[in-house]
Amino acid sequence: MDDWLIALIKVVFIWVWVLLIAVIMTWVERRGASMIQDRLGPNRAGPFGLLQPLADGIKLFTKEDIVPDKAKKILFSLGPILFALPAFSAYAVVPFGDKIVLGGKEIILQVSDINVGFLYVVALGSMAVYGIIVGGWASNNKYSILGGLRSTAQLISYEVPLGLALLAITLIYGTFSLREIALAQQGTFLGVFPNWGIFKQPLGFILFIVTAYAEANRVPFDLPEAESEIVSGYHTEYGSMRLGLYLFGEYVNLCTLSALIVTFYFGAWHLPYINMAAFLGPISYGIASFLVFFLKVSFFLWLFVWVRWTVPRFRYDQVMGLGWKALIPLALINLFITALAIQLTI
Amino acid sequence: MAKPVVEKKYTLGERIYLLEILKGMVLTWKHFVFNFMASFRSGPHTVPTTWQYPEDRREISPIFRGEHMQTLDDQGREKCIGCGMCAKICPAQCISIVKAKVPEDQQELYAGKTYSSSFNIDLLRCIFCGFCEEVCPTNAIVLGQGYELAEYRREGCQRDKARLIENFRLARESGKLKPQRKPVIVAEPKAKPAPEGGAQKDPGVQKVEQAKPKKAAAAKETT
Repeated sequence: MDDWLIALIKVVFIWVWVLLIAVIMTWVERRGASMIQDRLGPNRAGPFGLLQPLADGIKLFTKEDIVPDKAKKILFSLGPILFALPAFSAYAVVPFGDKIVLGGKEIILQVSDINVGFLYVVALGSMAVYGIIVGGWASNNKYSILGGLRSTAQLISYEVPLGLALLAITLIYGTFSLREIALAQQGTFLGVFPNWGIFKQPLGFILFIVTAYAEANRVPFDLPEAESEIVSGYHTEYGSMRLGLYLFGEYVNLCTLSALIVTFYFGAWHLPYINMAAFLGPISYGIASFLVFFLKVSFFLWLFVWVRWTVPRFRYDQVMGLGWKALIPLALINLFITALAIQLTI
Repeated sequence: MAKPVVEKKYTLGERIYLLEILKGMVLTWKHFVFNFMASFRSGPHTVPTTWQYPEDRREISPIFRGEHMQTLDDQGREKCIGCGMCAKICPAQCISIVKAKVPEDQQELYAGKTYSSSFNIDLLRCIFCGFCEEVCPTNAIVLGQGYELAEYRREGCQRDKARLIENFRLARESGKLKPQRKPVIVAEPKAKPAPEGGAQKDPGVQKVEQAKPKKAAAAKETT
């Protein structure tokens, strides 16, 4: 019964936490964009415009919920849910801290440590495309369906290098469990480098981060919603809270992907050269590991924003060319070299 | 002839593209830091390209053509003689004016022998061309600095004479009257003809200087 309660608390906590991050991210994106573009951005609602997401939310909730006449009604309302749900669910296996001891009970800061966490993440990553294609198809709008199709093609192309890059990681750490991968990144190797994924898999990291941007449909790979080409892509016909759910799901996706980048390549909750567990109490260690983890996550969230306002969108054929002609061969080479290195060292 | 397409040869670094992205990110980072620091500076207008409008207003030119006002002369008399030239020249036909003779017992209120018994401007029609100001023989109608003219109802956009004179009083108190552009030919009291003539010769600096003592005098009169 107790375990059950703890699991529930963890689920609710991480759910709320991710929602909060997504909410703040909408503000960070808009203010960050404005700062990069020599503007001020929304600064009226609350101090520094921090209440802007709330105002946006109220606006989206009070708008009329329009379903196009010829749209497929059930699929149309299913689309945003299908999009947002996998984004949230992927967080279930992400370790957001080491462990915390409360009342003599050791609690792992992870919703569930399943031994195929890696496969679960990759599977849910490809689930997200259903939300986009279903929404695009059900809208009965040529721009929407184009956006949906683009998203499908893009996701299929980039799922492969993503999976291959992650496969190299599992080769190194010898496990599919995300928690074990995170735990294995403590300490240093070769005397100087922290035991992080990025130092063992520099090429794999670049591959993963590029494919992560494509997975999240972010600039420079935001073809499914390319405003200058296909109006708004898959969510052209959406309005009010359905649109809100799509936009929200995107930020949750960003959060999940950032958390995965940190877990796989940036040592999860470990600080380089410092072993926090050695000098922190059981409770403070849990909190510290959680904070360190989300400090790293916030950097990658900011990187998403930063890149978005730096790089222009790729052309469609460039995206496909990059995916099939550059990333997949590189991922295969990376996997081969990793496998060879492991074979030779063992 | 169409321009021949020049195929640019990309270097390896450019073809890999990641390096170029990093360069671009350095650039955007510089912009971000600059604006981020600027947003913490105190005072309005910290980001160079943005005016935070209600708090932070742009300075408008002294000859800006905004909301109209009806001027009074130094003795507080209405300058308007009701000739109706402004109404005639107005391309938008927004001025309606009724001319009347000045009654015997109100001579001290009006500068001329005639006056406008009613003077209305429909700001909804006005295009702020400034023709009325130019054509006015007595400098009675002047376009001021006011530009926040939004109203909740159409009736609010009508300006009657009382409001126009009130505009003038407010502008005079805040020192935002522009220097007169042409000499006034109304019959003036003999006391001070000299400064007007001087202003006519040199339209630049002297006019502005001259406007100040006039204002001071006017302020004294009103108080």
